[in-house]
Order: sequence, then C-alpha cells, then structure tokens
Amino acid sequence: MVKFSSEELRRIMDKKHNIRNMSVIAHVDHGKSTLTDSLVAAAGIIAQETAGDVRMTDTRADEAERGITIKSTGISLYYEMTEESLASFKGDRDGNEYLINLIDSPGHVDFSSEVTAALRITDGALVVVDCIEGVCVQTETVLRQALGERIRPVLTVNKMDRCFLELQVDGEEAYQTFQKVIENANVIMATYEDPLLGDVQVYPEKGTVAFSAGLHGWAFTLTNFAKMYASKFGVDEGKMMQKLWGENYFDPATKKWTSKNSGAPTCKRGFVQFCYEPVKQIINICMNDQKDKLWPMLKKLGVTMKPDEKDLIGKALMKRVMQTWLPASAALLEMMIFHLPSPHTAQRYRVENLYEGPLDDQYANAIRNCDPEGPLMLYVSKMIPASDKGRFFAFGRVFAGKVSTGMKVRIMGPNYIPGTKKDLYTKSVQRTVIWMGKKQESVEDVPCGNTVALVGLDQFITKNATLTGEKEVDAHPIKAMKFSVSPVVRVAVRCKVASDLPKLVEGLKRLAKSDPMVVCSIEESGEHIIAGAGELHLEICMKDLQEDFMGGAELIQDDPIVSYRETVLDKSCRTVMSKSPNKHNRLYMEARPLEDGLAEAIDDGRIGQRDDPKVRVKILSEEFNWDKDLAKKIWAFGPETTGPNMVVDMCKGVQYLNEIKDHVCSGFQEASKYGALAEENMRGICFEVCDVVLHSDTIHRGAGQIMPTARRVMFASQLTAKPRLLEPVYLVEIQAPENALGGIYSVLNQKRGHVFEEMQRMGTPLYNIKAYLPVRESFGFSGALRASTSGQAFPQCVFDHWEMMTADPLEAGSQAQQLVEEIRKRKGIKAQLPPLSDFEDRL
Amino acid sequence: MYIIGLGLGDERDITVRGLEAVKKCDKVYIEAYTSLLSFGISSNGLSTLEEFYGRPIILADREMVEERADDILLEARESSVAFLVVGDPFGATTHTDLVVRAKKLGLEVNVIHNASVMNAVGVCGLQLYRYGETVSLTFFTDTWRPDSFYEKIQQNRFLGLHTLCLLDIRVKEPTLESLCRRKKQYEAPRYMTILVAIEQLLEVQQRLGGSGTK
Repeated sequence: MVKFSSEELRRIMDKKHNIRNMSVIAHVDHGKSTLTDSLVAAAGIIAQETAGDVRMTDTRADEAERGITIKSTGISLYYEMTEESLASFKGDRDGNEYLINLIDSPGHVDFSSEVTAALRITDGALVVVDCIEGVCVQTETVLRQALGERIRPVLTVNKMDRCFLELQVDGEEAYQTFQKVIENANVIMATYEDPLLGDVQVYPEKGTVAFSAGLHGWAFTLTNFAKMYASKFGVDEGKMMQKLWGENYFDPATKKWTSKNSGAPTCKRGFVQFCYEPVKQIINICMNDQKDKLWPMLKKLGVTMKPDEKDLIGKALMKRVMQTWLPASAALLEMMIFHLPSPHTAQRYRVENLYEGPLDDQYANAIRNCDPEGPLMLYVSKMIPASDKGRFFAFGRVFAGKVSTGMKVRIMGPNYIPGTKKDLYTKSVQRTVIWMGKKQESVEDVPCGNTVALVGLDQFITKNATLTGEKEVDAHPIKAMKFSVSPVVRVAVRCKVASDLPKLVEGLKRLAKSDPMVVCSIEESGEHIIAGAGELHLEICMKDLQEDFMGGAELIQDDPIVSYRETVLDKSCRTVMSKSPNKHNRLYMEARPLEDGLAEAIDDGRIGQRDDPKVRVKILSEEFNWDKDLAKKIWAFGPETTGPNMVVDMCKGVQYLNEIKDHVCSGFQEASKYGALAEENMRGICFEVCDVVLHSDTIHRGAGQIMPTARRVMFASQLTAKPRLLEPVYLVEIQAPENALGGIYSVLNQKRGHVFEEMQRMGTPLYNIKAYLPVRESFGFSGALRASTSGQAFPQCVFDHWEMMTADPLEAGSQAQQLVEEIRKRKGIKAQLPPLSDFEDRL
Repeated sequence: MYIIGLGLGDERDITVRGLEAVKKCDKVYIEAYTSLLSFGISSNGLSTLEEFYGRPIILADREMVEERADDILLEARESSVAFLVVGDPFGATTHTDLVVRAKKLGLEVNVIHNASVMNAVGVCGLQLYRYGETVSLTFFTDTWRPDSFYEKIQQNRFLGLHTLCLLDIRVKEPTLESLCRRKKQYEAPRYMTILVAIEQLLEVQQRLGGSGTK
C-alpha cells in the first residue's frame, strides 16, 4: 500500500527547492483533518476509498471519539508532479518529486498553542474555511498568528458538498457566498503589510484559492478548469483564469463574454457557467443514478472509472466519480507547490523573525541561505509523548545544517543567556526520526528545511529549545514563540491516595513537557496548580495526567480558579516613602496607571526591554504622549522582565542611583509578580521613583537592604493609587438558528455576559452572535447553553481582554474585597489585607 | 539598656565598666553580622564568651537587629538589657537607629565605648589624622558591580590621604531569590580576602580606565 519508502523520502530531503513545510489551520469543525486525509491518500498511506473517514492525523483515541483534533501531528508526504503540470511553474525546482511536511493542527481555541508550535516550523499555511460558516473567530486568530510569523497563506473554501447536497443553492448565490468568505479572509490579511513577504491576500483567479469537499475527497482550483477550457477553446490558460472569477459573464447563446450580466436568461457568470454548474450537474446525475447520462459525460471529461466502481450507486458513486475527476490531493498539492514558498525562499525573509543574535553572523547567514553545510540550527517546537510511557520525542525543524543520529548537540533552553551556562546542556542525539502520522521511520540524518523528531533529548528540554552543534559556542538561540492565548484558567489537583504524591509530581513534569502552553506550578500553600487556556484544555490535560503520566492513579480536582490581575485607577494620592531595614536608606515612589493601550502594546511585544531605545522612545512619545526624556528613563518591565508594568526613574541628580538600580528592579520583578492585594500579577502600573536618600557607603545599601524596600514602597504606592482588580474576559462566538436566540440571551444574562454583535449569516438561517463573558462565569457555560437551546448553540470562547472590576478592594465588605480575601485564603496567606503602614514609613 | 563595645581582640578586650554592666544585665545580646571577634562566633566561641561573662548570650543576626529591634527594646523596658557590639558601637557600624528608637520609647541608654578598627588602623604606622573617607568593598555579583568606592579612594589620593577599606563579610545573608519571599534561605557565610578586594579594585580600574592610583 505504501507508495514510497523512507529512502525515497530521505533523498528528496536534500532538494531544498522541492520541499514545502506547511500547516493546515482553521476554525474547529471546518474540516482540516478530513481534508488532510485526502492528501495523505495521495501519498498512498491510506486507501483512496476510505479517505475522509479515517482522520489519519487524529492519533489519539479521545480525538477520534470527540471528532476534534487535540494535538498537532506531523506527516511527511511524497508527491510526484507530472512534467506538464509543472510547465508553468516559474520558481526554482529540482526534478518533479516533492516532499511535503504537513502539520495538521487543532481548530478549537483552547488548543491554539498547538497551532503556534506548528506555525513556527512551517513556511506556508493552508487555511480551511467552511463555505457556509465562513471566517470564524478561530480562523481569524490563527491567520493573524500565521502572518505574524511570516507564514504565507493559501485558502481553501471547504465543505462544498454542503452547497450541492444540503442547501442546494443556485450558482449565483453560491458565488456570492464564496466571494464573501474570501473577502473576509482578505480583510484580515490586508492588515499585514510586509514588504518582504509581499501581498499575502488570496485570489481565486491567481490560483491561491481552492474549492474543496474534504469529506468526499475532491477539490479544484480555477487552474483545473482553466486548463481544461484553454485546450478546448484554444485560448491562453492565464486569460481563461481571469474570466472564471469576478465580473465576467458568458452567454452561450451569443458566445460572448461581457463584464455585466446582459439580462439574457442564458447569460451567466463565468464561474457559475464553467465551474459550478458542471460540478453540480455531475453530482446530480450521480445522486440520481442516471448512469446512461454519466458515462458519456465522464468520457468527455477524460475520466475513466475502474470496472468494479461502475456498479456503485448514489453517494458512493458520486464520491468515486468526483475523486477521480477532481482529486483533492492534486488540486491542493499543486496549489501548495506553486504558491507556498520552499524553505529556501522562506528562510530568506523569516530569519529576522527567527534568530535572536546579530543578523550578520554565520548562524543568521546559514538560516537565511538554508545552508545544509552550515552550522546546525534546529528549533524544537514541541515534545510528543512516545509509545513507551514517560519518554518524549523532541519535534522541530532544522533551519540550517544537518542533524544526525549520534551527533552531539548543544541544547539552549528558553532561559539561556548567550555567554553563560544557564539552561545549557550538551547531549547526544540517539536517533533522528521522520514523522508519518501514526508511524515513525528512523533515518540517518535530516538536512535543513525539514521537520524532524529526535530521540534521547527529552530529559533536557522542557517545552522547546534551540539545538546547535557541540562546538558552536557563540550561537544565539532562536526566538521564543509568542502564544495568542494565555493560561487564564487554573485548577488545583490532589491525589486521592497520599502515597501517590511522587507520581503526581512526576506526572505534572511530564504534562508540562507534552503541552506547549500548560503551566504547572506549586502554590506556597502546597497546592499543585495546572493552568490552561480554557475548560476543555484543562479537561484534556487532566485526562492525560491521570491516564498517561500517572498510570491511572486517582486524582481529586478542585473547582477551576481564574487568575486575576492587580492594577491602579489613579495616581498615588501622595508620594510614599519606605525605609530600608537598617534605616539608612529611603525610597520615595508614586504609582500611576499606564496609558490606554500601552499594556497591550507591551503584551504584543511592540514595546519591551530588548527594543532599540530609539524606537521605544518614538512609539512612546508619538502614540502615548510620553515626554521623550522620560521615555529614555524606563528601568525595567515586569513581571518576568517582559510584563505590562514598569519602573521609571524620575529622580534628579541623585548620587549612587546606578548602584541601586538593579536591586530596585529585582524588587520590582517580585512586586509585580505578587501584588499587594492578593499576590496576583500586576498589570498596567507605572512606578515612578521620585527620590532616594542613600547611605554613602556601598555596604549599607546592598541587595538585602534595597530589594525588600523597593518592594514595600511599590506596595505602598499601589495601595495609595486606588488599587483595583482586573478579571479576564472571553470573547464568545455562538452560531445558532433564530429560535435558539432567546435561550442564548438568557444564559448570557445569568452569566454576566453581554452581546455586542448579532448578525445573520448570508444565505443561511443561522445567526452569529458575539459576546463578552467573564472567564469566571464560563465554567459550565457550554452545558447551560446546550440545555437552554436544546443543543442548537455551540460557543467558542477565546481570551479577549482584562476588564476592571469597579468595586474597591479596600472598601470593607465590597465584592472585590471578598474576592481578594478568597484568593488570599486559597493561597495560604493571611486573609486580611495588610494595612498601608506595613509598607509605608514615616520620617 | 546598655550598648557595649567589645573591642577588637577576644572576649577579654571588654572594658571593666562594660564587663560590670554585662554581669548585672538580665539579658545579653550580641550583634553578629557587621563584624566578628577574631575567633568568630562559632558555638564554641560563643560559649567562651558566656563562660567569661558568666551570662547566657543571645545571638542577634541582621534580621533580629533590623526588623525585630522593637522586641529587644520592649524587653529593655521591663528589665536591663545589654547589646554587645564588636569594636565600638558607633564605629564602623552605626547603631544609631537603635539608640534613636530606644530614646523615643523613653529608655535610658548607656553607651560603653571601646576600641574600633577605625582607630586601631593606626597600628600600620600611618597617622590617623591623615585618613580620608572610609569605604566598604562589597562582594561583586554577576550583575551588580558597584564602583562608587573607587572614586572615593581616588579622591582621598587626590587630597593626599590614606583610605581605610573595610571588606565585606556575609555571615547570614538571604539569597537574592528568597529576599522577597516569606521563606528565607541563606547563603553560606563568605568573608572577603585582601586578594579578592584587590582583584575587584583592579577590575573597576580597568573598567573606568583610570590611571594607576593604587
């Protein structure tokens, strides 16, 4: 059955012009995995007949059961193009054989981090959109992520079969729907103007949009039809393509093209006349079993069926005929090969996004040129659990050089700082493996431009890492991935049997490894906390933890907890002062809220510690009205040196200030990580150092004196600046028929949600509702919604923003104070908020 | 409340007046983070003190002196308390804060002076009158390498004065990571040697590009 061997695959791996690394991205249930099957079928791994039913890339039992993809799965496909179909390909190529490293990613928003990990190691993306549902919230999220990573997209309008079988819309209506879908996608893409990447919008007439029916395994691009008609009518293929989309009408009665509908009953849009109608006709004939009409038509189209297939009837016949006539693999693979970049092309412009070090050193050059002879640069984007329990494959992409079995590599972890030994290991690769869905093949080595799985490094890599050759000591790591969702939902877990605790600790370590996003931590109260993107994400994590990583030991799970943030509403009412423990030093500070949008800009990485100070000053002064001199005096961002809070130096002419800067910043990192109210992270607070009085001798103002003082004075300034709590809010998208709307509104009302958009989907009885919903209220939301709409409404929740809670946590008995006390109690600290005098000192 | 200087050598360097005070006090604390007697505060050393003074002695580390000084002062209200400081109470380390606080509480404070390294340095043959500003040299860390002391030495040289350099001791310092946490962890004790001090000075000199002032 397998059409190719691993030797064949290995051979093409060297032809960097003939490789395409791509991910399949889409909203949940738009048919990614099903479509991927068709492609896998073309490579001969599964039988053509079962394509669409197997979901080759859903390797886990729970994935199959729920019918959704949870983990992204890689698969390497070998595909041979015919000489004639490559005739019009203008890029570099090396023979007709192609290697496609494909990654199927989950569509549910809770697993967005898997998509991020997939995007990092691919160069192109196949965006799948349901032709009826259109561009949904997750389509938009992943598309933005892809473009942010400089991934070139192509689009496929999927589930075409629904148009023909379920809704039976006519040609013009269908065209309008497709047009709208493509337009919506282009609106998002148009916002990413990137001179290096060029125009990323997609156009059917350029061949970057396909129309597919994943379930039935067929697809076409306008190229297919243009080719067919070009030879029939004797016109140029390119010109024919143009005619098949947009405002071009053909009247078979007059045999004339016009740019407007002439009004004659026979006059139809080019797309409808030449693409939609023929497909519709064939499908109808098959479904009605009009075999006497079918065979002559197929003969005309040059489609030959195998004798045994001629006995099929109805849907099965239709599926077979369509697969033979317009095989999905051919259309999609051609689209990818023609319009998605090879690693050689893509790494040229992606190097800027990828490499942390100077862009002119030998490592940057090796990545830029995708040089197999250069030093090894490999990024591990995720860890995949291996079949023997407890071990992991390190899955990633080789950007430069080669990685081979037995090679000694330098592992640079996410906390590695060049020039130091922190988070740095040197180890041997036991085996290099290529990934083919449910099975893996060992190979001797893997050159740059390919994805690879490595065995034997799992003990040294937590989630991701950069690997390079043993001797490449001056290489910088590849940039860390930026996730679009944050772990805002947390749950505490305990063992039912106390003696299972070591298993739990070990299991949590493995869980943290296996998922790119999940954060496992231990509270000071000793609780073990798992943090994830949403309810479903946590559910899957719990299941993995219990069944795969702890051998089925029983666990008790508390109610999910939400993370909050601490912020301030106003400027501190006075300058507050704290004295160091030895009373020889005094720090004076004030807190104020950051300008609107600044915290978000820091989140997005537009402003941060590592920026060029000039650029930072420019953004701050132009967009946020900062004084230019002040913008130069930002000491630090925090927590974790990247968070959305800062310390700014407002002192004038103070001696020795430089010597305590580091200590103040360390104190700030702590303070911003564990705020004064409830030890939650701070957000959107700017601390201004107003004045300092220091002992003249260094020994009396060391870290031990300054750090705790800085932390205390920051707490005092936070408490005097009208502190508030921020709660996370989801954007919820719900699709439902009209009669379910009432139920949706009442559930949203109960859960403190509010609807801000309600729209009817064109050409469908479905309504699309967008609402904001506090994350705290989202537990059990799906269930409540299902119950009150008799299962007609499905929500998709994605973290959207932080919203300020109006209640004052300092006011006795307020809702916010209750919340603060609740959190403090859970964390095992004194429930009562400490008074201001604990932090502020008097002269 | 007595604040008593212990002098520089061993337990017998205490002054007669100091010894009398210790003997009649109910509680005796010894401050142990700014300097050490020459035999160190090992359990053995402490017992030597106790034996000689004939009183149990409580070791007061940095946290006790800086953050829980009030507890000591409260005790002083009820009973007589002696607070022992190596050297002189207002010598290299200034325990002024303790005195100020005690006075605020209306306590009577008696200070018993003793020799300090600030005057004992005359032993090296240089005139005490010719010393400039005293500096402390702290241990450098990976990221924190202060250099203000260098400038002071330079200024002293410029005025033709000697400099007394006090070298860092870290007897019981919390680690940087645990400074802000509730659960404190401590570094192993470290004492700066003259060699380390000179290395650090040379490093600063190189960094500032100063001309050979040493």
